[in-house]
Amino acid sequence: MAGTALAPTPAPGAPTPAPGKRGLGRALSDRRTRFGLLNATPVVVYLLILFVYPIFSTLMLSLKGEEGGFTLHWYTDAFQGANLEILLTTLRISAETSLLALVVGFVLASAISRLKPLWAGLAMLVVVVPHFISALVRTYGWIILLGDNGVVNNALTDMHVPGAPVQLLYNEIGVVIGTTAVMLPYTVLLLFAVMKGIDRRLLAAAASMGAGRITIFRRVYVPLVAPGLVNAGVLCFILCLGYYLTPALMGGEKQTMVASLIDEQVMKQNQWNGASALGIILLLLTFAGLLLLRLLKSAGEALRNRGTAS
Amino acid sequence: MIELRSTLAGRITLAVLSTLILLFLALPIIVIVVTSFGKDAFGSFPPEAWTLGWYKQLFADGSKWPAALSLSALVAAMTTVFSLILGMTAATALVRSELPLRSAVYGLVLAPLVIPQVVVALGLFLLFEPASMLGSPIAIALGHTVLASPIAVMILMATLKGIDERLEDAAASMGANRLTVWRRITLPLAMPGMVAAGIFSFVTSFDEFFISQFLSSVDTVTLPVQVFNVLQYNVDPSVTAVSAILIAVAVVALALVGVVRKLSGSGKQDGLLPTEPGLGLPAGSETAS
Repeated sequence: MAGTALAPTPAPGAPTPAPGKRGLGRALSDRRTRFGLLNATPVVVYLLILFVYPIFSTLMLSLKGEEGGFTLHWYTDAFQGANLEILLTTLRISAETSLLALVVGFVLASAISRLKPLWAGLAMLVVVVPHFISALVRTYGWIILLGDNGVVNNALTDMHVPGAPVQLLYNEIGVVIGTTAVMLPYTVLLLFAVMKGIDRRLLAAAASMGAGRITIFRRVYVPLVAPGLVNAGVLCFILCLGYYLTPALMGGEKQTMVASLIDEQVMKQNQWNGASALGIILLLLTFAGLLLLRLLKSAGEALRNRGTAS
Repeated sequence: MIELRSTLAGRITLAVLSTLILLFLALPIIVIVVTSFGKDAFGSFPPEAWTLGWYKQLFADGSKWPAALSLSALVAAMTTVFSLILGMTAATALVRSELPLRSAVYGLVLAPLVIPQVVVALGLFLLFEPASMLGSPIAIALGHTVLASPIAVMILMATLKGIDERLEDAAASMGANRLTVWRRITLPLAMPGMVAAGIFSFVTSFDEFFISQFLSSVDTVTLPVQVFNVLQYNVDPSVTAVSAILIAVAVVALALVGVVRKLSGSGKQDGLLPTEPGLGLPAGSETAS
C-alpha cells in the first residue's frame, strides 16, 4: 500500500516527491505528465475515499477504547480464549486448503501443460469457467453433492465402502473440500503459467545422463516449478484467511473462521471495535504473506544470479 | 523436438487423475443445473421426474426473488458504469502518459484484489453506517466498484497497449484535438476491451456477496445475499433455480466476452479467455513492484 500517502494531485506545488531526476515543476509543465495526472486522479481519489480511508478508520477503531482513548485491549481480546481458537482454526484450515489445492493443482496443471493445444484449451475452459461462477453457487453445489443422500455418499454406499454414508458436511472435511474447489483455479492457472515456460529438453537431457524418472522429477522438474509453487501456495493461503462463504455454509461450530467471527460481531453483537481488530489482524497476516513472497522472490533471484556467475 | 517420453502407465495415471480433478471442478455446477429441473428438489440425483416448477415459483406472487434480482441488476449496472469510467481514465494514465509515481498508483489500483474482502467490507460498513446509507443501492455499487475497477483497469491497460499509438498521433498531427482523437480513434479501437471490462465488472458485482451483506438492510437484499440467507436459515427449494440462473448469467457473460474478442480479432494471441494477465487473480504482488 505504497500509494496511501502518495496520491498524486494535479495541483502545482503539491508535496509530491520529484519523479526521477527532473524537478516537479518541470514534470508538471510536461503535457504528457499533466495528462497522466489528470487521468489518474479519478481512480486515486476514489480508492483513497472508498478503500484506503475505510481501512484506516478500521485501524483507528481497533485502537479506540470504549470511552475513547488509546487501547490495545481489542487485540489482547482477539488472542484470548475462543477468539484465539478461531484464529488458529483459520490458519489451520487455510494451510490444509492451500496444501490440497497446491497438490491437486500441480497434477492438473502438469497434465494440461503436456496436452495438445486444443485439449489444453478445453481443459482450461473447465478450470476458468467455474472460477467466474459465483463461489456461493458452487458451494451450494457441494452441499447438494456431499449431503447424506448426495451423489458422493450414494456412490460410496453403492460401492459398499465401509462406514458409508460418511458425514461430509458441517465438519472440516466438507469445509476443506469446498474451499479447495474455490481456490483450485488460482493454483492451476499460476502453476500452468510456470510449467508452460519450462524447457522440457532439460528433462530429456537429465535422462540422457542416466537420471531415473524420480530423480528427474525431484532434481529437475520440481526446482524449475518451485517459484510457481511458492507463489501459488502463499497467495492461496492469503485468500483463504479472509474467506467467509464456504466455511460459513459447509462448516460446523469447530470450523468458524475469522471472517465469520467479524460478521457475527458486527451484525449480531454490534461489537465494531473487536471486529476491527480482527480485520486488522487479517490485514497484517496478508501483508506478512505478501512480504514473504517478495523476500523469497528476491532470494530466488539472488540464488539464480550466483548460479550463472560461478 | 527432444522430449522425455512418458511411460504408458504414467500417462494413464495422469489422464485419470486430471479427468477426476476436472470433474471435481465441474460437478457442483452440473449438479445445480440438473437438480433445478428435478421434481424432487432435494431428492436423488439424477432426478426421477422433471419440472419447470421451481423457475415458475420464482416469479409467483409474494416471492422475494424478483426484488432481489432487480436490485442486483441495478447495482451491477451502476458498478459497470463507475468502473468503466475509473478503468478507462486510469488505464490511459498508466499506459499513455508519463505518470509520476506510476508504480505507486498501479499498486493502489490493484491492492483491492489482495486485501481480504472482509476487511474492505468492514471498512465500507464503517464508512456508510454513520452516513445512514446502509441499504442504498448506490452505496453497494460504490463498494462493488472497489473490487470491479482493478479488473477493468487491467483489461483496459492490455487493450490500450494493443492499440498502435501512432494512429492517435497521426490523427493529432492532422489537427484533431485530444477529445476528438479519443472519441474517433481510441474509443472505437478500445471498444472490445471496454465491452469485456464492462461485462466483467457487471458479473463481479452481480455475484458479490460479502460487501453486499455488510451494506444491505432488511429490505434491500441483493440476490447473492438472499441465496445465502436461504441456504443458512430456511429451506426454499427454488434457491436451486436461482443458482442455475446465476450460473447461466456467468456463462453467457463469458461467452459474450469470447464472441467480442473473436469478432475483433484480438482473441487470437490471448487464448480463449482473458485469463492473462491474471484476470481475477491477485496479481498485485508481482505487478505492484
